[in-house]
Amino acid sequence: MNRIGILDERKSAQATTTIVAAIIIVAIVVGVGVWFLKGPGPKPEKPVEITGLSLSSTSPTKGEEVKAFVDLTNHSATDQSYTFTLKASGENVSTKTVKVEGGKTKRVSVPYTVKENNRTYVFQAGSKRATASVGSPPKLAVVSDIGGRGDLAFNDMAFKGGESAELKLGVKMMPLISSTEEDYLPNLREAARDPDTNLIVGVGYLLSKSLSTVAQEFPNKNFMGIDTYAQSLTENLQPNLMDITFEEHKSSALVGALGALLAAHYDKPHIGAVLGIEIPVLWKFETGYKWGAKWALEKWLPANKPDLAKQISYSKDFVKYTYTGTFSDVAKGYEAAKPMYEKGAVTVYNIAGPLGLGINRAVKERVPKGQEMGPPFWTGVDSDQDWINPGFVIASAMKRVDKGVFLAEKLVKQGKFRSTIRNNDGVITLGIGTEVGGIPVEGVSVSTLANLKEFVKMGVRAEEVTGEKKLPMPPEKIKARVKEMRDAQPDWIWDAVSQLEEKIRSGKPIADLDGDGTPETVPATTTDNAVSYWRDVLG
Amino acid sequence: MSDDLFESIASKLRGLAKPLLDTTFAVIIGLLVGALLMWLYGYNPWNAYYYLFKGGFGSLKGIFETLSFATPLMLTGITWLVGWKSGIFNIGAEGQMYMGAIGAVWIGGTAALPAGIHVAAATIVGMLFGLLWALPVAALKVWRGAHEVVTTIMLNWIALFFVRYLIRYQVPMPGNAYRTVPAMETARFPLISEGTTLTAAVFVAIAFCVGIFIFLWRTRLGYEFRLTGANPEAARYAGIDTQRIIFLNLLIGGLAAGLAGSTQVLGRPPVWGLYETLGGVYGLGFTGIGVGIIGRNHPIGAILAAFFYGGLLHGGTKMMAQAGVAGEMMVAIQGLIILAVALPVILPMIREKIASWRG
Repeated sequence: MNRIGILDERKSAQATTTIVAAIIIVAIVVGVGVWFLKGPGPKPEKPVEITGLSLSSTSPTKGEEVKAFVDLTNHSATDQSYTFTLKASGENVSTKTVKVEGGKTKRVSVPYTVKENNRTYVFQAGSKRATASVGSPPKLAVVSDIGGRGDLAFNDMAFKGGESAELKLGVKMMPLISSTEEDYLPNLREAARDPDTNLIVGVGYLLSKSLSTVAQEFPNKNFMGIDTYAQSLTENLQPNLMDITFEEHKSSALVGALGALLAAHYDKPHIGAVLGIEIPVLWKFETGYKWGAKWALEKWLPANKPDLAKQISYSKDFVKYTYTGTFSDVAKGYEAAKPMYEKGAVTVYNIAGPLGLGINRAVKERVPKGQEMGPPFWTGVDSDQDWINPGFVIASAMKRVDKGVFLAEKLVKQGKFRSTIRNNDGVITLGIGTEVGGIPVEGVSVSTLANLKEFVKMGVRAEEVTGEKKLPMPPEKIKARVKEMRDAQPDWIWDAVSQLEEKIRSGKPIADLDGDGTPETVPATTTDNAVSYWRDVLG
Repeated sequence: MSDDLFESIASKLRGLAKPLLDTTFAVIIGLLVGALLMWLYGYNPWNAYYYLFKGGFGSLKGIFETLSFATPLMLTGITWLVGWKSGIFNIGAEGQMYMGAIGAVWIGGTAALPAGIHVAAATIVGMLFGLLWALPVAALKVWRGAHEVVTTIMLNWIALFFVRYLIRYQVPMPGNAYRTVPAMETARFPLISEGTTLTAAVFVAIAFCVGIFIFLWRTRLGYEFRLTGANPEAARYAGIDTQRIIFLNLLIGGLAAGLAGSTQVLGRPPVWGLYETLGGVYGLGFTGIGVGIIGRNHPIGAILAAFFYGGLLHGGTKMMAQAGVAGEMMVAIQGLIILAVALPVILPMIREKIASWRG
């Protein structure tokens, strides 16, 4: 090509880019212009305005009468008559003329009988819309935290709750996985925009802010958060938002006592704990675990096994613990647990969801071939993890996230969701001996053989559905191994744990472990100050 | 004269037609492969794609949300493509973006400044933090001859852990050690539409891209940037100080990445800050490489590519919710489409690179 040709080409390339750039710049300028023009200008004052439209039921059945509530607000000082029309999917339902007192809001109810199955009615009054779907089952949206399905702990438990709601409450679950924190808001909004959702669940502490935002944007939808503090982020009580929290400190105290007594029995110097990101929820686990261990060695053992008590005592070094800063990096769980076992930890408590698989690896590495049960052990969390490596998981501190999800959906179905929120200031706590509206709901417990059955069954079903291998051995063998392991531990250890559970259930102070002169129950450390106070006491 | 003009416009259109056709064809291939994958796993591909595109581009709110996802991507795309224009393999956007984000948190969350000035100051400090992190790359490249791929990868990791340390110990939110203080109201870009996460930061990002475009094709220095990449020998022969060009180029890349980090902090509700996991920014730098490539290493192309990519990211939510496609499958489908679109651009790039090594 000659020089002129090259120049031509360069010139034409320049022209192309100029044209494209010009188009884009024009588009931006127009866009910005439109945005500014559309921006909030002074709105013309209307004396009476429709300020709300809600329905008595968003999932009616055919033939059922749905009441549409229309809120009319009179902005002027004098009484006004106002005429509005309610439409259902374009068809006029009723035209009413209503007198509204000056400066007041009036709620008018308009009945409508649904005629057809399998359709969604869009109700409209003025610019307000509300929808009701007939025939199709309402949806329960579950927005996961990062990690999503397959963590065998926290998120999976929430989905399990959704599955039992599908079976028993006739809803359809809509699982939404968050890959990063950026997905929380879009996922929640997507779920809220679906006319069929009657409850939107956000799983995990980190969703709090997003939940409170979206709950305010969609006042007609119901929202529930697991481990969240969303209610505390709103100025007034948000009537459609429920936080469910758990008494993890209590279940942690139980497995702490279990671990400490195992250490006494097997003559080991330590127990361990591998934690995830340092968030207040985990402080509850940490303190509860240490508190239970100290109670077992300082209160229970001297009173019941004085000869053993001479050989072991609680020191600040007794519980080895590490915050790994992750809920997903399994390798970090291995790295943190390995030195704990090397220093003689009899069991390591998994307080980091999927990292339990890393702890399990560390255990497997230490166990000589042919040995079929611990020590060393590890302790499961959230779900019943005893089946992951039968014989080496001494027990699991279960946190029944599934029960929380199921409970919320049940309340929605019974029409009690919002009244429960009002009666409990928006926060429900599930734990040992807790009640919701007079009905006992247990939120945490130490896994039993009966639990194992249920969770192994879940594993079997998962294998059938996915065709993937989930269980390490046949279900019967798992149960036999776990039973054998539990039977191999002396009865007095299990008795001691039950005694502590009874004490906790009674709600009375249990023991004075911090030496301040007054006995306390298991402390729930949710603040910086509380956790550093208890770290001074317990190590 | 007017004949000339017509001729030039016609040739422009012809020049545009080929890449457009190529891209469309590539998208179709990607969609087909993705459909096959979904069909194998028992999903309804038609349904899934309907919701994917409806979610990303099917409504004004969807488009706003898509733009919100696109905002940082076009900027990290700029880091990559500006580097490419001078023959640099700059993959440092990731770490530089973390630094930009923490810089924005620092000024936006802790300094009390008047509204307007505050957001500008926080943005600029974020950009400078990105530049700061590009400085060692540039210096090592120019004075010690260290390859930028090695230095940027190492600095990305250092930035990751350094920023995590800063989040946890220097600017944590009181009582919430897992996240930083949020940017103050005065340091936030205004929200464009309620119910979405799109803020005016998108205008800043687009303006930056257009600015880079003008710089590269309308200034002498920009010409020197491009010549250094197209033919370093010729550039040196023409009296261009290519070392200086490479140095400046890496710094501009740092500014772009820093701005990307700033927009994620100052222009992305509801967090207006960083999590300890860096979830809000993690991976955007590397995704930017894909955006740059799909945008044919052109700043305006990067805007369009980021919009496309953002649409896939946001539309995926609807695909997951309404078509019931599992989250993991959604990521696989997005990856396939991106790969298909990028391939026809990457192949000539590789050929070009090999040719330049040989010759």
